[in-house]
Amino acid sequence: MSAMSNCHAEFYQGTEGQLFRLTRTPSTINAHVIYIAPLFEQANQTRHMSTRSAINSYKQGVQSIVFDHFGTGDSAGELIDTTLMLWQQDIVVQIKAIKASSSKPLFLSVVLSAALLLNNEILSLVDGVLLAQPEFNGKSFTRQLKRMDIAGSLVKTHTSQNSEESFDSNYVDIAGYQFTQQLLDELTKQNINKLSESSIACSWFEWLNASNELAPSRIKQQQALQLIYRQTEFVMVEDVKYWQATEFQLAQQFLQKEQQAISKLLERHKAQGQE
Amino acid sequence: MNTAQTTSQLIRILVAIIPGYDDDFWTADTELFGAIAEFDSMAIVTLIGEIEDQFDIELDDDDISAENFATLSSLTELINERA
Repeated sequence: MSAMSNCHAEFYQGTEGQLFRLTRTPSTINAHVIYIAPLFEQANQTRHMSTRSAINSYKQGVQSIVFDHFGTGDSAGELIDTTLMLWQQDIVVQIKAIKASSSKPLFLSVVLSAALLLNNEILSLVDGVLLAQPEFNGKSFTRQLKRMDIAGSLVKTHTSQNSEESFDSNYVDIAGYQFTQQLLDELTKQNINKLSESSIACSWFEWLNASNELAPSRIKQQQALQLIYRQTEFVMVEDVKYWQATEFQLAQQFLQKEQQAISKLLERHKAQGQE
Repeated sequence: MNTAQTTSQLIRILVAIIPGYDDDFWTADTELFGAIAEFDSMAIVTLIGEIEDQFDIELDDDDISAENFATLSSLTELINERA
């Protein structure tokens, strides 16, 4: 059986509109993984790896679900009409639908800025979380987003392109993404301290930098999460930061380690069930 | 960290972000902004994030200028000023 034979594309009802998802269902389902896409340009920069990861999960006997948030990708709606809460509610709806029809464990795969969508309700409903270089610092994320605008203006000036000014203070237009100031403010306010203590199992994949060290800002985030989620396992990855490169790259070591982490989560869940 | 070490670490970051060039392409004199097609706004912002993380410094928005990102040496100078 090929990896694509049970790949099903569909639109399903989200909170405010039809959302697009790709589901890969193995003949025997051991667990489910929902891939939460990161935000804005990061979604494009990580899609190829999410697809690889979802195919690997399928081969492991894990049903994988890759979907587009409201107002993004092939899903209905416009980015300008979305809020952080709407995106979070869409994730909750999807988790509850799976749990209503399956007793198998459900994990989340969370890459980069997708971590900003996590809240206590979402985490209380799942059995494990796979975090790949998660960004829990909303302020840092939106600062980088705003810099896109500055860098974009610089490039436009250099190439003599005209930039269109946005005159409505309720909306922002950054690097071609138009959304509300409210969404930007909501994302900026997101931080790890909003999450409550939990015994949920987390695997945190952290990419080492060029000097094989962890940046102080990353260590700070890891320490903060470990205080809340004591069952967090940190996995160091010495591989390409595939989301940064100007050409598509595959992080093979990460894919391998991710499969191992899923196996561990499955074993842990099985052991808990036998206690 | 001295200038040579800063430049060397900067080159490692750039090789990861813009992998399509041979290692010997990157020297202190390599021109960046306006000279390399891949050095677009996305690459600039990614580079800033990595510089802040790896050198443990914070750059101002005002630092995002054609002058500072003109060459590897001008960027090295900026990093050393902020360190």
